[in-house]
Amino acid sequence: MPIVFVSGVPFGGGERLAKELARKLGYAFLDREEVVARANESGIPVGKLEVALVKKPAVQERMVRLRDRYLAVATATICEKAAAGNLVYYGRAGHHLLPGVGHVLRVRVVPEPARRLETVMERLRLPREKAEKFIRDVDEDIRAWVRFVHDVDMEDLQKYDLVINLEKLSLENAAAALCSIAELPDFRPTPASQAAMQERLLRARARIRLALDERTADADLTVRSSEGVLTITYVPRQAQLAPLIPDVLGDLPGCREIRCTMASTNILWIQEAFRPDSGTYREVNELARRWGAAVELLQYRAGGEEGEAVPVEVAPAAALKAGTGGVEDDLPEAAAGGADRSFERTLEALVQEGRSGGGHTVAGGRDRLVGAISRSVPYSLVVVDNLFLDKSPAARTRMTRELAMFLTDHVKAPILSTADLSSKLHLGRGEVLKAFAAGALVVLLYCAIFLRQEGLLNVLGGEAHKAAPWVASVLVALLAPVVSVLYGNLLASAMKWLKMD
Amino acid sequence: MPMLFGDLFIHLTWANALALVLLGLVGGVISGFAGSGAAFIMTPGMMNLRVPGVVAVGSNMAHRFGNNMMGAKRHAGLGNVDKRLSILLLVTAVIGVQIAVWINSTLFKMGGGEGHEGGGGAMSNLYISLIFIGVLTFVGAFMLRDAVRPRDSKEGSGPSMKLANMLSRLPLPPYVRFPVADVRISLWLVLLLGLVVGFLDGTVAIGGFLGVPAMIYLFGVPTTVATGSELFMAMFGGAWGAISYAYQGFVDLRLSCLLLLGSLMGVYIGAYGTKVVKEVLVRLVASSIILLCVVSRAVAVPVYLRQLNFLHFSEGWEPWLKGVSTAILFAAGVGGAGLVLFYVVKATLERRKVHSTLLVRKAAADGRVS
Repeated sequence: MPIVFVSGVPFGGGERLAKELARKLGYAFLDREEVVARANESGIPVGKLEVALVKKPAVQERMVRLRDRYLAVATATICEKAAAGNLVYYGRAGHHLLPGVGHVLRVRVVPEPARRLETVMERLRLPREKAEKFIRDVDEDIRAWVRFVHDVDMEDLQKYDLVINLEKLSLENAAAALCSIAELPDFRPTPASQAAMQERLLRARARIRLALDERTADADLTVRSSEGVLTITYVPRQAQLAPLIPDVLGDLPGCREIRCTMASTNILWIQEAFRPDSGTYREVNELARRWGAAVELLQYRAGGEEGEAVPVEVAPAAALKAGTGGVEDDLPEAAAGGADRSFERTLEALVQEGRSGGGHTVAGGRDRLVGAISRSVPYSLVVVDNLFLDKSPAARTRMTRELAMFLTDHVKAPILSTADLSSKLHLGRGEVLKAFAAGALVVLLYCAIFLRQEGLLNVLGGEAHKAAPWVASVLVALLAPVVSVLYGNLLASAMKWLKMD
Repeated sequence: MPMLFGDLFIHLTWANALALVLLGLVGGVISGFAGSGAAFIMTPGMMNLRVPGVVAVGSNMAHRFGNNMMGAKRHAGLGNVDKRLSILLLVTAVIGVQIAVWINSTLFKMGGGEGHEGGGGAMSNLYISLIFIGVLTFVGAFMLRDAVRPRDSKEGSGPSMKLANMLSRLPLPPYVRFPVADVRISLWLVLLLGLVVGFLDGTVAIGGFLGVPAMIYLFGVPTTVATGSELFMAMFGGAWGAISYAYQGFVDLRLSCLLLLGSLMGVYIGAYGTKVVKEVLVRLVASSIILLCVVSRAVAVPVYLRQLNFLHFSEGWEPWLKGVSTAILFAAGVGGAGLVLFYVVKATLERRKVHSTLLVRKAAADGRVS
């Protein structure tokens, strides 16, 4: 049975609906208050974090760190409770804690405004005007919180499977309708979705463990996991942490292996098929070497728009299909990786090079891809290529370009194709010629300036300047940027040639 | 050595040309490392090479105009520029620059101290030095205090946010939300900062040096966005300042070109340093250099006061004071740049030593670590 996430606003009837639903279905009930209590026990001052977010102007480094810890605690609490049986969770867009987990029913409750206002007036003993202001402020604060925590607009109804408007519908009937929907095969767990949930749980537990251990509490670590393999990335200045991380995570349940990679930054490499002996691998690896970056592999199989089924050709997935009512959300990662194990071999090659940032597989629509990209990892570059392999070359090029444009709106790092990457890494003939031309022009300009100093200074501050001061302004406006651009390009090419860019 | 065209331009020799390139290199390394302009070392450095203060400021602005353009382009590519913030800052920065150019030109034309360092612009030199000392003492001390003070372990190593939080509580509507920086700031505070940054940029060419920390500490803007947005604004503000100074006849393009030769290269080296050195150390090195520059300028102030007959002491002391001032400045610059280079080399060597990947097999009945 699914995990039912009911999202609502205070005094809007959502919590009562969620409790009623849990009672009718016989599921366990968990609400945000319980999650917050556990977070507080883990040393995360959620109340203070909320106040800071609302009252303070900027999202600060410490707040981001606390947010990530809070997300880890919330994910672990929900996953642990759901693992013990079925679950109804009431909170604020909590389903975003489990992206990629298929057996999730996402419900948004829209309150009846007049009834909500009356409830607030009655329970908080507020006059109408103050109650209205209270509701406006609370809703705005919650929207800000959800934007901060999940980076989504809570009002975006496309992020829900179902919206229940309580204007006409009674709580009793709304709960009854939800009961029927929750039992549909579309929301049933599959081995793949349960495995995805286990990965989320493992990652969350690792984060919590690292956050609670005083040796690693202040470190800037990124945590990824795939098939029980945890990949922890740390920055070079925290190299002394490397031997401690395995100690801290030593006996974490569900963890098969721990990989620690030192990296100044991260490169995300998205493809459908990976090969460790390919030219793209060499180029990504070369760039990672220059930048001191970790490379994270994301194997993506496009499956049309979100929710559309992904064809499965491997046996284990076919077995899943029978239990899902014909609809499947994702594939087991190993299955989607292909039988030739090229994905795993590429990942192993990166591990050997000391540049692995972890690897995982996702299938489905674009939103699924975006959901699989971690927000807490500071990527410097996203390389996108070799996708839509079942399409013709022309369609593949177009669709890859469109996907890159889509990702530009969702990922802050620059998105490059392999061809772009190649041109950034290597000096082409055209670039060498441009560099020579820039160098020659710089020499010419410097010769002109220093061999005719008297004339130049006359224009800049002598008699000629007194006659026409604007000429000096024009000269400066033209020469200063031209020399900078030419010399800057020359230096950039030289650095690239020296592989020091 | 006689000056060219009255008291405006210095005679270029191989020695002072090389010194200017080195000054650019040192400034570039520190600039790339500290993430803010290095006019705090270049302007007094040029003054120590007998360039009149106002020409040092004008030429520095011209040199930075192009530099900022390259920096802004690079930051824009990385998504570090909040154009809304830059444009609003620019609105009043242009006014600030114009006020500064007018004051500097007027003071320079008032003359004073003919035949001494900085030609006849002793009044202008004194004014520039005093502004420099006042502002950078505050900025340097604040950064140093922030870098060395003990921290609550839960607070992390980021910059202090106390001032930002205090300002955010002031009721000063209207507020503007800046999408890239992800902050909400009172419009009046932004405009005021623009004016101050423009004024300081036009006065001592150190506007960016105040603007970046101000955005970080006062507005809570993330460091990378503060640097990118300031560069974007400074590209236009600097252009306006350089053009204005050129119109007044206070830009020596030869000096700008020589500075540029060293500074662009230095920026590459300094920027690499930030990847491998702790942020606290970056702030510590930057604040120490700033405070040493302040000391250097303070040592030179009595010379200007004597040239203006505000202070009386033997003329024989002047070369000593100027020598000490120059020595402190170059020691700060070369020491700072050397320290950055030292850390870059050290970190590179360390990185080779460290096993970059530890593979821990937990398969383990035996719990071996491989």
